Amino acid sequence: MGRPLATALLLVVTGHAVAWAQSGGTGAVTPPRSPRNANYTITARLDPSTRTITGAETITWRNITTKPATDLQFHLYWNAWKSSRTTFMHERALRSTGLGPRVDDRRRNPDEWSRIDVVSIRVGARDLSASKRFIAPDDENPDDETVMVVPLDPAVEPGGTATIDLTWTAHVPRAFARTGAIGNFFFIAQWFPKLGVLLDEGWNCHQFHSGTEFFSDYGVYDVSLTVPSGWPLGATGVQRERRDNGDRTTTYRYYQEDVHDFAWTTSPDYLERTARFEHPTLPPVEMRLLLQPEHADQAERHFDATRTTLKYYGEWYGAYPYGHVTIIDPAYQSGAGGMEYPTLFTAGTRWLAPSRVTTPEGVTVHEAGHQFWYGIVGNNEFEDAWMDEGFNTFSTARAVAQVWDPNHLALRYFGGFIPWAFRDVVINRETDGNRLSGYRRDAKSDAQSTPSYRYFPATGGSITYNKTALWLNTLERWLGWPTLQRIMATHFDTWKFRHPKPADYFDTVNEVAGRDLGWFFDQVYRSSNVFDYGVQDLTSARDDRNEFRTTVIVRRWGEAIFPVDVLVTFRDGERVTEHWDGKDRWKLYTYDRRAQALSAQADPARVLLLDVDYTNNSKTLEPQGGRAATKWSLKWMVWLQDGLLSWVSLI
Amino acid sequence: MSAWRDGMRRVNRAPAILVGVWALTLLVSLPLAVAMRGMLAQHLGRSLAADTAASGVNYDWMQEFSDQATGLGVTFKPTIIGFGAVLDNLSAFMDNTPRPVVIVGAASTYVALWIFLAGGIIDRYARDRATRAYGFFAAAGVFFFRFLRLAVVQWLVYACLFGLIHPWLFERLYPRFTHEITVERTAFFIRVALYLVFGVLMAAATTLFDYAKVRAVVEDRRSMFGAIGGALGFLRRHLAAAVALFLANFALFALVVGLYSVVAPGAGRAGIWMWIGFAAGQFYVLGRLWVKLVFWASETALFQSRLAHAGYVARSDPTWPESPAADAIS
Repeated sequence: MGRPLATALLLVVTGHAVAWAQSGGTGAVTPPRSPRNANYTITARLDPSTRTITGAETITWRNITTKPATDLQFHLYWNAWKSSRTTFMHERALRSTGLGPRVDDRRRNPDEWSRIDVVSIRVGARDLSASKRFIAPDDENPDDETVMVVPLDPAVEPGGTATIDLTWTAHVPRAFARTGAIGNFFFIAQWFPKLGVLLDEGWNCHQFHSGTEFFSDYGVYDVSLTVPSGWPLGATGVQRERRDNGDRTTTYRYYQEDVHDFAWTTSPDYLERTARFEHPTLPPVEMRLLLQPEHADQAERHFDATRTTLKYYGEWYGAYPYGHVTIIDPAYQSGAGGMEYPTLFTAGTRWLAPSRVTTPEGVTVHEAGHQFWYGIVGNNEFEDAWMDEGFNTFSTARAVAQVWDPNHLALRYFGGFIPWAFRDVVINRETDGNRLSGYRRDAKSDAQSTPSYRYFPATGGSITYNKTALWLNTLERWLGWPTLQRIMATHFDTWKFRHPKPADYFDTVNEVAGRDLGWFFDQVYRSSNVFDYGVQDLTSARDDRNEFRTTVIVRRWGEAIFPVDVLVTFRDGERVTEHWDGKDRWKLYTYDRRAQALSAQADPARVLLLDVDYTNNSKTLEPQGGRAATKWSLKWMVWLQDGLLSWVSLI
Repeated sequence: MSAWRDGMRRVNRAPAILVGVWALTLLVSLPLAVAMRGMLAQHLGRSLAADTAASGVNYDWMQEFSDQATGLGVTFKPTIIGFGAVLDNLSAFMDNTPRPVVIVGAASTYVALWIFLAGGIIDRYARDRATRAYGFFAAAGVFFFRFLRLAVVQWLVYACLFGLIHPWLFERLYPRFTHEITVERTAFFIRVALYLVFGVLMAAATTLFDYAKVRAVVEDRRSMFGAIGGALGFLRRHLAAAVALFLANFALFALVVGLYSVVAPGAGRAGIWMWIGFAAGQFYVLGRLWVKLVFWASETALFQSRLAHAGYVARSDPTWPESPAADAIS
């Protein structure tokens, strides 16, 4: 793009931003929805040439526990990418090969790593800079400096308030964990010294782990950011001020109440689009999209996906309360895609994005959905990541199925650039949307009740995202959607702007369902056992009375227990459904009929989506396995022959 | 262009070779397909999942099979459906994607068989008249060990191309060129440029070895280094013609692949449609083989048109053995 055109475009973009800020509200939420006990006023300046941020912040923090606070604990997330010896980097290596740092990490230039250095810290009038130190509460790694502790003397009593002033400098990395810079694209998240959460049992301030995210208190964020003039800026909250400083920089002030984090992004390349979500019963939401020029034709797809989320999540769980949301389409290779922050999220699409394939819709719905599960209901993502990621994966699949059905499998070729949509392969909400395949591979890797940050890094996602989505959908199929919807809506309403724990959710389930489902959560949450029911045998032969004696043996191959139906179908059309509690290892059903049996199925409605082997759930006396195998092996053979021809082209 | 047309004519006048190499392709792939069928049939068993797998795509079952598969089974993925199969293989070839050992083994066997047949095929096209099975296999036998020696050189060159140059291009240069690029389209064009570089190197190598084979057969050369030297000399003197011929043949390849992208059958149903789909796949395979043979035949025709007369082959005609009936006569 030529410079004059770019300048003209940026003027248009800036003008739109002001108009949006005026119409999109003020960032105020009245009355307050959260305790607002951790309020941040931040001033920061980005120097793109050196990729540094210089910042100052004032935190007004109130002790809302019943115990005095004798120290303060801060997250310094960017120190996770200071060297390859941090806990984050150790875990990241385990997520790839387990044999050492990832190739792209080994090849990083020194300036592509990051750090955050607290220059000064004062609590009230006391300068505590000299007393700050690092701790590693999770693994005692001496090379991990992602948690900083400062002693308080005197302590902050319950109900008391502390005013903390910090200054710091930080080096922006090439992207780690959706944060960093590439070219002129900056996505800045988890970027400032941030307090942990003080609970009655003490500080909950974990080190930064590669497989988990964050946990913080709600509050008010008032953030002034100085960036090069002409660089559009997107951030949590609403733009309240814009001041050109006369030194080719512009300062933007963003403000938002009742949120627990603040992220921002800037790049001279952003195009800006705006749209509005309207609904008969839900509050309107102004949508602002900052997208890459090469995706200009996909703006409406991003808005449609966000509208879908606001509509369905709003109808199912509760209204989105902020009145505005910013959608970020991150730059190619920025590594910033698919991440959520309060009132702002990053989507992620490709230059070639075929229709009827849910890119960018899937990721957009998911990240927009996090506004509800993470943003509004603020669970501890270090320890119980499944409470937002799993709930949201389930909800994403459900929402996508309402609008983009059917959608198709697409695979990418030639370095991942060229997509090919397989119109024969329809993506199924229950199995594909809830990611059964990934769960199947990793089902036994960890019990879900293990704190999320202690999951094995390479497989933790399957337990956090997939397993939860699968058991939620199982509950939906078992209890019915109206019941599950009430459960989720009740949980949402009870715990919005608060920090629920797993037991809180289980209590809500039991209360709304009207029965104790502890046994269910013993299976899916407190153990790593797998479900695998099936039909071991089906016979149906004529006996000496000229009737058919049909015997069905169903079996529980897995350790986990769930009640399943058994459906036996006879040739005369009769269908017999048995209800098996699924507790014994096997169960025999016998029938004497004039008609021969045709098939037997365990869990014919596929209520139990966690069953890791559904193929063994049925047997028929008219098997089609041979025909199907022939068909597919012939297809495979053509693939093989074509591959052989590639090789022979070399001789 | 006359060599190109002549090459196509020579291939079309020897349909038995085309049918033979197709049969060879079928024979090499058939045992593995039978093994794959056995694995699929065993996994499906008497399950009702087979019904949907037979009538269309049971993607859930495919994933379940794939999740549990080992060895050959891991290659059973949706990418085998329709034109996806071609894209998958072309992409794997250009991206140097490793394949399972069993596939590499089958491919190595297939290549070895082609090395054996190459002498007979080129000899047939060089003579441009029927040589019958005896003559064909006699020539194949004569040149087999020569071409095995040539294959060693080829293997070294391709090992260098795929083992050194490809990683250098795509794991070193490509990340370096695209390190700060924030526009996917730009990165794609850089990758395409590197594909072109790699493709040109590949094309140069295969063309060189093709002409080495042609010279070895037509001039009855025993030294493969000499044949390579001769091929280099020929290419140096007739570069424009050789490049034009290569491009024309490559256009044929693109045409066959392009046509298949339009007609490639999807998952389809079991039964008659399954066989119609398979037949379409075999026509595509025949098309690809025909293009491969046209490459050799047209290169032979080009060589003969420039350095010999059409149909000239230094090696003497095969001498047929006496019929057993001769004993009775004497």
